[in-house]
Amino acid sequence: MSSKKDKAQKSLTKEEELLLQDFSRNVSTKSSALFYGNALIVSAIPIWLFWRIHQMDLYQSGILFAVGTLVSTYLVAFAYKNVKFVLKHKIAQKREDAVTREMTKKFSDDKKMTRKERDERILWKKNEVADYEATTFSIFYNNAFYLVLLILCSFYVLKNFSPMFNYLMSVGLAAGLLALFSTSNK
Amino acid sequence: MALTEGDDPLYGSGSGFSKILLVRHVDYFPLLNTGLLAARRKMKLWVLAVLISFAGYSLSEEENVARLLASKNVLNQYLVEGRDLTVQYTIFNIGGSAALDVNLKEESFPEQDFEVVKGNLNVKWERIAPGTNVSHVVVLRPLQFGYFNFTAAEVSYKPSENAASAVVGFTSAPGEGGIVGSKDFDRKFSPHVLDWLVFAIMTLPSLTIPFLLFYRSKSRYDTPKPKKN
Repeated sequence: MSSKKDKAQKSLTKEEELLLQDFSRNVSTKSSALFYGNALIVSAIPIWLFWRIHQMDLYQSGILFAVGTLVSTYLVAFAYKNVKFVLKHKIAQKREDAVTREMTKKFSDDKKMTRKERDERILWKKNEVADYEATTFSIFYNNAFYLVLLILCSFYVLKNFSPMFNYLMSVGLAAGLLALFSTSNK
Repeated sequence: MALTEGDDPLYGSGSGFSKILLVRHVDYFPLLNTGLLAARRKMKLWVLAVLISFAGYSLSEEENVARLLASKNVLNQYLVEGRDLTVQYTIFNIGGSAALDVNLKEESFPEQDFEVVKGNLNVKWERIAPGTNVSHVVVLRPLQFGYFNFTAAEVSYKPSENAASAVVGFTSAPGEGGIVGSKDFDRKFSPHVLDWLVFAIMTLPSLTIPFLLFYRSKSRYDTPKPKKN
Protein backbone atom coordinates (compact mmCIF):
# COMPACT_ATOMS: atom_id res chain seq x y z
CA MET A 1 0.00 0.00 0.00
CA SER A 2 2.68 2.41 1.02
CA SER A 3 4.74 1.69 -2.17
CA LYS A 4 1.73 2.56 -4.42
CA LYS A 5 1.29 5.81 -2.55
CA ASP A 6 5.03 6.56 -2.96
CA LYS A 7 4.81 5.92 -6.73
CA ALA A 8 1.76 8.19 -7.02
CA GLN A 9 3.54 10.84 -5.02
CA LYS A 10 6.61 10.47 -7.26
CA SER A 11 4.53 10.82 -10.48
CA LEU A 12 2.76 13.85 -9.00
CA THR A 13 6.12 15.20 -7.93
CA LYS A 14 7.44 14.78 -11.49
CA GLU A 15 4.52 16.70 -12.95
CA GLU A 16 4.83 19.29 -10.26
CA GLU A 17 8.51 19.53 -10.94
CA LEU A 18 7.86 20.01 -14.63
CA LEU A 19 5.25 22.68 -13.91
CA LEU A 20 7.53 24.39 -11.44
CA GLN A 21 10.32 24.31 -13.96
CA ASP A 22 8.03 25.74 -16.57
CA PHE A 23 6.71 28.63 -14.50
CA SER A 24 9.74 29.39 -12.39
CA ARG A 25 12.33 32.02 -13.14
CA ASN A 26 15.07 29.78 -11.78
CA VAL A 27 17.41 28.34 -14.35
CA SER A 28 19.34 25.15 -14.26
CA THR A 29 23.04 25.07 -13.42
CA LYS A 30 23.89 24.49 -17.07
CA SER A 31 21.82 27.48 -18.19
CA SER A 32 23.28 29.59 -15.42
CA ALA A 33 26.82 28.73 -16.50
CA LEU A 34 25.90 29.52 -20.10
CA PHE A 35 24.42 32.88 -19.12
CA TYR A 36 27.30 33.97 -16.93
CA GLY A 37 29.86 32.81 -19.50
CA ASN A 38 28.22 34.79 -22.31
CA ALA A 39 27.71 37.80 -20.05
CA LEU A 40 31.39 37.78 -19.12
CA ILE A 41 32.47 37.66 -22.76
CA VAL A 42 30.18 40.47 -23.87
CA SER A 43 31.12 42.60 -20.83
CA ALA A 44 34.84 42.17 -21.53
CA ILE A 45 34.63 43.19 -25.21
CA PRO A 46 34.26 46.97 -24.50
CA ILE A 47 37.69 46.94 -22.80
CA TRP A 48 39.18 46.73 -26.30
CA LEU A 49 37.30 49.85 -27.36
CA PHE A 50 38.41 51.86 -24.35
CA TRP A 51 42.01 50.70 -24.63
CA ARG A 52 42.44 51.35 -28.35
CA ILE A 53 40.08 54.24 -29.09
CA HIS A 54 39.84 56.12 -25.81
CA GLN A 55 43.55 55.45 -25.22
CA MET A 56 43.14 54.15 -21.67
CA ASP A 57 46.17 52.36 -20.31
CA LEU A 58 45.45 48.67 -19.64
CA TYR A 59 47.60 48.36 -16.53
CA GLN A 60 46.68 51.68 -14.95
CA SER A 61 42.97 51.09 -15.48
CA GLY A 62 43.10 47.33 -14.76
CA ILE A 63 41.16 47.49 -11.51
CA LEU A 64 38.53 49.75 -13.04
CA PHE A 65 38.11 47.37 -15.97
CA ALA A 66 37.80 44.37 -13.64
CA VAL A 67 35.15 46.03 -11.48
CA GLY A 68 33.20 47.25 -14.50
CA THR A 69 33.29 43.85 -16.16
CA LEU A 70 32.06 42.03 -13.03
CA VAL A 71 29.20 44.44 -12.39
CA SER A 72 28.22 44.33 -16.06
CA THR A 73 28.39 40.51 -16.10
CA TYR A 74 25.96 40.27 -13.20
CA LEU A 75 23.48 42.73 -14.71
CA VAL A 76 23.63 41.21 -18.21
CA ALA A 77 23.11 37.69 -16.80
CA PHE A 78 20.14 39.05 -14.84
CA ALA A 79 18.74 40.45 -18.10
CA TYR A 80 19.29 37.11 -19.86
CA LYS A 81 17.24 35.26 -17.22
CA ASN A 82 14.36 37.74 -17.26
CA VAL A 83 14.06 37.91 -21.03
CA LYS A 84 14.31 34.13 -21.30
CA PHE A 85 11.47 33.68 -18.81
CA VAL A 86 9.16 36.05 -20.68
CA LEU A 87 10.01 34.59 -24.09
CA LYS A 88 9.70 30.95 -23.05
CA HIS A 89 5.91 31.03 -22.65
CA LYS A 90 5.37 32.90 -25.89
CA ILE A 91 7.59 30.45 -27.80
CA ALA A 92 5.97 27.43 -26.10
CA GLN A 93 2.57 28.53 -27.38
CA LYS A 94 3.91 29.03 -30.88
CA ARG A 95 5.79 25.73 -31.08
CA GLU A 96 3.12 23.59 -29.45
CA ASP A 97 1.52 22.32 -32.65
CA ALA A 98 4.77 21.60 -34.48
CA VAL A 99 6.30 19.78 -31.52
CA THR A 100 3.12 17.76 -30.93
CA ARG A 101 3.03 16.76 -34.59
CA GLU A 102 6.66 15.70 -34.58
CA MET A 103 6.43 13.72 -31.36
CA THR A 104 3.18 12.03 -32.38
CA LYS A 105 4.75 10.95 -35.64
CA LYS A 106 7.76 9.64 -33.74
CA PHE A 107 5.73 7.60 -31.25
CA SER A 108 3.01 6.50 -33.61
CA ASP A 109 4.69 3.14 -34.17
CA ASP A 110 5.35 2.58 -30.47
CA LYS A 111 2.12 0.96 -29.30
CA LYS A 112 3.46 0.05 -25.86
CA MET A 113 3.47 3.70 -24.79
CA THR A 114 0.46 4.87 -22.87
CA ARG A 115 -1.34 8.08 -23.75
CA LYS A 116 -0.26 9.63 -20.48
CA GLU A 117 3.40 8.85 -21.12
CA ARG A 118 3.09 10.24 -24.66
CA ASP A 119 1.56 13.48 -23.35
CA GLU A 120 4.30 13.74 -20.76
CA ARG A 121 6.98 13.34 -23.40
CA ILE A 122 5.31 15.90 -25.68
CA LEU A 123 5.12 18.34 -22.76
CA TRP A 124 8.76 17.72 -21.91
CA LYS A 125 9.84 18.21 -25.54
CA LYS A 126 7.78 21.37 -25.83
CA ASN A 127 9.43 22.68 -22.69
CA GLU A 128 12.87 21.76 -23.96
CA VAL A 129 12.38 23.44 -27.35
CA ALA A 130 10.91 26.55 -25.77
CA ASP A 131 13.72 26.67 -23.22
CA TYR A 132 16.39 26.28 -25.91
CA GLU A 133 14.95 28.90 -28.26
CA ALA A 134 14.26 31.35 -25.43
CA THR A 135 17.81 30.96 -24.12
CA THR A 136 19.48 31.49 -27.49
CA PHE A 137 17.25 34.39 -28.49
CA SER A 138 17.63 36.03 -25.07
CA ILE A 139 21.43 35.90 -25.39
CA PHE A 140 21.37 37.28 -28.94
CA TYR A 141 18.86 40.06 -28.16
CA ASN A 142 20.55 41.19 -24.94
CA ASN A 143 24.04 41.12 -26.48
CA ALA A 144 22.94 43.27 -29.42
CA PHE A 145 21.04 45.70 -27.18
CA TYR A 146 23.95 45.97 -24.74
CA LEU A 147 26.51 46.71 -27.47
CA VAL A 148 24.28 49.32 -29.11
CA LEU A 149 23.64 51.05 -25.77
CA LEU A 150 27.33 50.98 -24.92
CA ILE A 151 28.42 52.50 -28.25
CA LEU A 152 25.74 55.20 -28.02
CA CYS A 153 26.69 56.13 -24.47
CA SER A 154 30.44 56.02 -24.98
CA PHE A 155 30.79 57.74 -28.36
CA TYR A 156 27.84 60.13 -28.44
CA VAL A 157 26.45 60.92 -25.01
CA LEU A 158 29.67 60.84 -22.99
CA LYS A 159 32.26 61.49 -25.69
CA ASN A 160 33.58 64.72 -24.13
CA PHE A 161 34.14 63.26 -20.66
CA SER A 162 37.35 61.79 -19.34
CA PRO A 163 37.98 58.16 -20.44
CA MET A 164 37.66 56.72 -16.90
CA PHE A 165 34.34 58.42 -16.24
CA ASN A 166 33.23 57.48 -19.74
CA TYR A 167 33.97 53.79 -19.13
CA LEU A 168 32.23 53.64 -15.75
CA MET A 169 29.14 55.48 -16.92
CA SER A 170 28.88 53.74 -20.30
CA VAL A 171 29.15 50.24 -18.90
CA GLY A 172 26.96 51.08 -15.93
CA LEU A 173 24.28 52.74 -18.04
CA ALA A 174 24.27 50.06 -20.73
CA ALA A 175 24.09 47.14 -18.28
CA GLY A 176 21.70 48.98 -15.98
CA LEU A 177 19.27 49.91 -18.75
CA LEU A 178 19.45 46.36 -20.10
CA ALA A 179 18.53 44.95 -16.68
CA LEU A 180 15.77 47.53 -16.30
CA PHE A 181 14.16 46.84 -19.67
CA SER A 182 14.38 43.09 -19.05
CA THR A 183 12.07 43.41 -16.06
CA SER A 184 9.22 44.37 -18.40
CA ASN A 185 6.59 41.64 -18.65
CA LYS A 186 5.80 42.23 -22.33
CA MET B 1 37.12 136.21 -19.10
CA ALA B 2 38.89 139.70 -19.62
CA LEU B 3 39.58 142.09 -16.79
CA THR B 4 37.67 145.40 -16.87
CA GLU B 5 38.29 148.62 -14.95
CA GLY B 6 37.52 148.22 -11.29
CA ASP B 7 38.13 144.49 -11.22
CA ASP B 8 40.26 143.03 -8.56
CA PRO B 9 43.61 142.03 -10.14
CA LEU B 10 43.61 138.65 -8.38
CA TYR B 11 40.02 137.67 -8.21
CA GLY B 12 38.64 139.47 -11.25
CA SER B 13 34.93 140.13 -11.59
CA GLY B 14 32.01 138.35 -10.08
CA SER B 15 30.65 138.04 -6.63
CA GLY B 16 30.04 135.28 -4.12
CA PHE B 17 30.63 131.75 -5.49
CA SER B 18 31.13 132.91 -9.06
CA LYS B 19 34.44 134.64 -8.40
CA ILE B 20 37.09 133.53 -10.78
CA LEU B 21 40.69 133.54 -9.68
CA LEU B 22 42.98 135.20 -12.21
CA VAL B 23 46.76 135.36 -11.94
CA ARG B 24 48.31 138.20 -13.87
CA HIS B 25 51.95 137.89 -14.83
CA VAL B 26 54.14 140.81 -13.51
CA ASP B 27 57.33 141.41 -15.51
CA TYR B 28 60.06 142.51 -13.02
CA PHE B 29 63.02 141.89 -15.52
CA PRO B 30 61.78 143.05 -18.93
CA LEU B 31 65.14 143.19 -20.68
CA LEU B 32 66.35 139.83 -19.42
CA ASN B 33 63.14 138.09 -20.39
CA THR B 34 63.23 139.46 -23.92
CA GLY B 35 66.75 138.05 -24.36
CA LEU B 36 65.75 134.68 -23.03
CA LEU B 37 62.78 134.51 -25.37
CA ALA B 38 64.93 135.20 -28.36
CA ALA B 39 67.39 132.54 -27.26
CA ARG B 40 64.60 130.01 -26.94
CA ARG B 41 63.32 130.76 -30.42
CA LYS B 42 66.81 130.31 -31.83
CA MET B 43 67.19 126.99 -30.02
CA LYS B 44 63.93 125.73 -31.45
CA LEU B 45 64.99 126.64 -34.94
CA TRP B 46 68.32 124.83 -34.52
CA VAL B 47 66.64 121.67 -33.26
CA LEU B 48 64.22 121.76 -36.17
CA ALA B 49 67.07 122.20 -38.61
CA VAL B 50 68.99 119.28 -37.12
CA LEU B 51 65.94 117.01 -37.28
CA ILE B 52 65.21 117.89 -40.88
CA SER B 53 68.77 117.30 -41.94
CA PHE B 54 68.88 113.94 -40.12
CA ALA B 55 65.64 112.84 -41.77
CA GLY B 56 66.94 113.96 -45.11
CA TYR B 57 70.17 112.10 -44.52
CA SER B 58 68.25 108.96 -43.50
CA LEU B 59 66.01 109.08 -46.52
CA SER B 60 68.89 109.52 -48.84
CA GLU B 61 70.76 106.72 -47.15
CA GLU B 62 67.71 104.36 -47.61
CA GLU B 63 68.40 104.30 -51.29
CA ASN B 64 71.92 102.95 -50.74
CA VAL B 65 71.54 100.40 -47.92
CA ALA B 66 69.70 97.18 -47.40
CA ARG B 67 66.97 96.87 -44.82
CA LEU B 68 65.62 93.44 -43.97
CA LEU B 69 62.30 92.51 -42.41
CA ALA B 70 62.02 88.91 -41.22
CA SER B 71 58.99 86.94 -40.21
CA LYS B 72 58.72 83.56 -38.50
CA ASN B 73 55.46 81.59 -38.80
CA VAL B 74 54.29 78.21 -37.58
CA LEU B 75 52.26 76.71 -40.40
CA ASN B 76 50.49 73.95 -38.41
CA GLN B 77 46.87 74.21 -37.40
CA TYR B 78 47.48 71.70 -34.58
CA LEU B 79 50.73 71.20 -32.71
CA VAL B 80 50.92 67.57 -31.67
CA GLU B 81 53.56 65.65 -29.74
CA GLY B 82 55.47 63.32 -32.06
CA ARG B 83 54.04 64.84 -35.25
CA ASP B 84 55.71 67.22 -37.70
CA LEU B 85 55.72 70.93 -36.97
CA THR B 86 56.55 73.28 -39.86
CA VAL B 87 58.21 76.66 -39.26
CA GLN B 88 58.57 79.11 -42.15
CA TYR B 89 61.01 82.03 -42.15
CA THR B 90 60.57 84.80 -44.75
CA ILE B 91 63.07 87.62 -45.18
CA PHE B 92 62.10 90.72 -47.16
CA ASN B 93 64.65 93.30 -48.36
CA ILE B 94 62.86 96.64 -48.40
CA GLY B 95 66.06 98.65 -48.77
CA GLY B 96 67.68 100.12 -51.87
CA SER B 97 70.70 97.87 -51.90
CA ALA B 98 71.41 94.16 -51.70
CA ALA B 99 71.85 92.66 -48.26
CA LEU B 100 75.10 90.71 -47.99
CA ASP B 101 76.14 87.75 -45.80
CA VAL B 102 72.66 87.20 -44.47
CA ASN B 103 72.60 84.75 -41.56
CA LEU B 104 69.53 83.31 -39.99
CA LYS B 105 70.23 81.75 -36.60
CA GLU B 106 67.52 79.82 -34.80
CA GLU B 107 68.38 78.81 -31.22
CA SER B 108 64.99 78.78 -29.56
CA PHE B 109 64.24 75.06 -30.05
CA PRO B 110 66.07 73.00 -27.40
CA GLU B 111 67.34 69.61 -28.58
CA GLN B 112 65.67 67.74 -25.74
CA ASP B 113 62.25 69.16 -26.67
CA PHE B 114 62.42 69.29 -30.47
CA GLU B 115 63.89 66.99 -33.08
CA VAL B 116 64.86 68.44 -36.46
CA VAL B 117 63.22 66.35 -39.17
CA LYS B 118 64.12 68.41 -42.22
CA GLY B 119 65.93 71.69 -42.82
CA ASN B 120 68.61 73.65 -40.97
CA LEU B 121 68.30 75.94 -38.01
CA ASN B 122 71.28 78.04 -39.20
CA VAL B 123 71.02 79.35 -42.77
CA LYS B 124 73.18 81.69 -44.87
CA TRP B 125 72.40 83.68 -47.98
CA GLU B 126 75.23 85.45 -49.79
CA ARG B 127 73.00 88.24 -50.99
CA ILE B 128 69.37 89.20 -51.03
CA ALA B 129 68.61 91.64 -53.82
CA PRO B 130 66.66 94.80 -53.02
CA GLY B 131 62.92 94.45 -53.36
CA THR B 132 63.04 90.65 -53.14
CA ASN B 133 62.36 88.10 -50.46
CA VAL B 134 63.60 84.65 -49.55
CA SER B 135 61.96 81.95 -47.49
CA HIS B 136 63.20 79.00 -45.55
CA VAL B 137 61.27 76.12 -44.00
CA VAL B 138 62.28 73.88 -41.14
CA VAL B 139 60.34 70.77 -40.12
CA LEU B 140 60.58 69.89 -36.43
CA ARG B 141 59.02 67.24 -34.24
CA PRO B 142 58.00 68.12 -30.67
CA LEU B 143 59.15 65.44 -28.23
CA GLN B 144 56.99 66.60 -25.33
CA PHE B 145 53.57 68.12 -24.90
CA GLY B 146 52.66 71.31 -23.08
CA TYR B 147 52.83 75.05 -23.66
CA PHE B 148 55.83 76.37 -25.59
CA ASN B 149 56.80 79.98 -26.24
CA PHE B 150 57.90 80.39 -29.85
CA THR B 151 60.39 83.26 -29.69
CA ALA B 152 62.19 85.18 -32.42
CA ALA B 153 65.17 83.97 -34.42
CA GLU B 154 68.21 86.19 -35.07
CA VAL B 155 69.00 87.68 -38.47
CA SER B 156 72.30 89.37 -39.19
CA TYR B 157 73.44 90.97 -42.44
CA LYS B 158 75.67 93.61 -43.99
CA PRO B 159 73.58 96.50 -45.24
CA SER B 160 76.16 97.48 -47.85
CA GLU B 161 79.54 96.42 -49.18
CA ASN B 162 81.30 99.15 -47.30
CA ALA B 163 79.54 98.45 -44.01
CA ALA B 164 81.99 98.02 -41.15
CA SER B 165 79.89 95.69 -39.07
CA ALA B 166 76.84 93.52 -39.53
CA VAL B 167 73.37 94.64 -38.56
CA VAL B 168 71.60 92.28 -36.16
CA GLY B 169 67.87 92.01 -36.07
CA PHE B 170 65.16 89.56 -35.04
CA THR B 171 62.30 87.86 -36.78
CA SER B 172 58.73 88.15 -35.55
CA ALA B 173 57.78 85.78 -32.72
CA PRO B 174 54.73 83.54 -33.18
CA GLY B 175 54.06 83.57 -29.44
CA GLU B 176 52.91 80.85 -27.08
CA GLY B 177 51.44 77.68 -28.52
CA GLY B 178 50.04 74.55 -26.90
CA ILE B 179 51.49 71.20 -28.01
CA VAL B 180 48.77 68.56 -27.61
CA GLY B 181 49.67 65.10 -26.35
CA SER B 182 49.56 62.33 -28.96
CA LYS B 183 46.98 60.32 -26.97
CA ASP B 184 44.59 63.25 -26.73
CA PHE B 185 44.99 63.98 -30.43
CA ASP B 186 44.40 60.35 -31.43
CA ARG B 187 41.39 60.13 -29.15
CA LYS B 188 39.83 63.09 -30.94
CA PHE B 189 40.91 62.74 -34.56
CA SER B 190 42.17 59.30 -35.41
CA PRO B 191 39.63 57.25 -37.45
CA HIS B 192 40.58 53.96 -35.74
CA VAL B 193 39.38 51.96 -38.72
CA LEU B 194 41.39 48.88 -37.81
CA ASP B 195 40.31 49.03 -34.18
CA TRP B 196 36.62 49.16 -35.14
CA LEU B 197 37.14 46.27 -37.54
CA VAL B 198 38.70 44.13 -34.83
CA PHE B 199 35.85 45.09 -32.48
CA ALA B 200 33.31 44.00 -35.08
CA ILE B 201 35.10 40.67 -35.53
CA MET B 202 35.17 40.15 -31.75
CA THR B 203 31.45 40.79 -31.36
CA LEU B 204 30.44 38.54 -34.26
CA PRO B 205 30.56 35.24 -32.32
CA SER B 206 28.48 36.69 -29.45
CA LEU B 207 25.78 37.74 -31.88
CA THR B 208 25.81 35.28 -34.76
CA ILE B 209 26.13 32.00 -32.85
CA PRO B 210 23.06 32.52 -30.59
CA PHE B 211 21.06 33.84 -33.52
CA LEU B 212 21.96 30.93 -35.78
CA LEU B 213 21.06 28.39 -33.08
CA PHE B 214 17.73 30.12 -32.47
CA TYR B 215 16.99 30.38 -36.17
CA ARG B 216 17.78 26.72 -36.78
CA SER B 217 15.36 25.61 -34.08
CA LYS B 218 12.74 28.13 -35.21
CA SER B 219 12.84 27.01 -38.81
CA ARG B 220 12.46 23.38 -37.70
CA TYR B 221 9.44 23.92 -35.45
CA ASP B 222 7.79 26.99 -36.88
CA THR B 223 4.16 26.51 -37.97
CA PRO B 224 3.90 27.65 -41.62
CA LYS B 225 1.29 30.39 -42.20
CA PRO B 226 -1.70 29.34 -44.37
CA LYS B 227 -1.40 30.68 -47.92
CA LYS B 228 -4.12 33.06 -49.06
CA ASN B 229 -5.55 32.20 -52.48
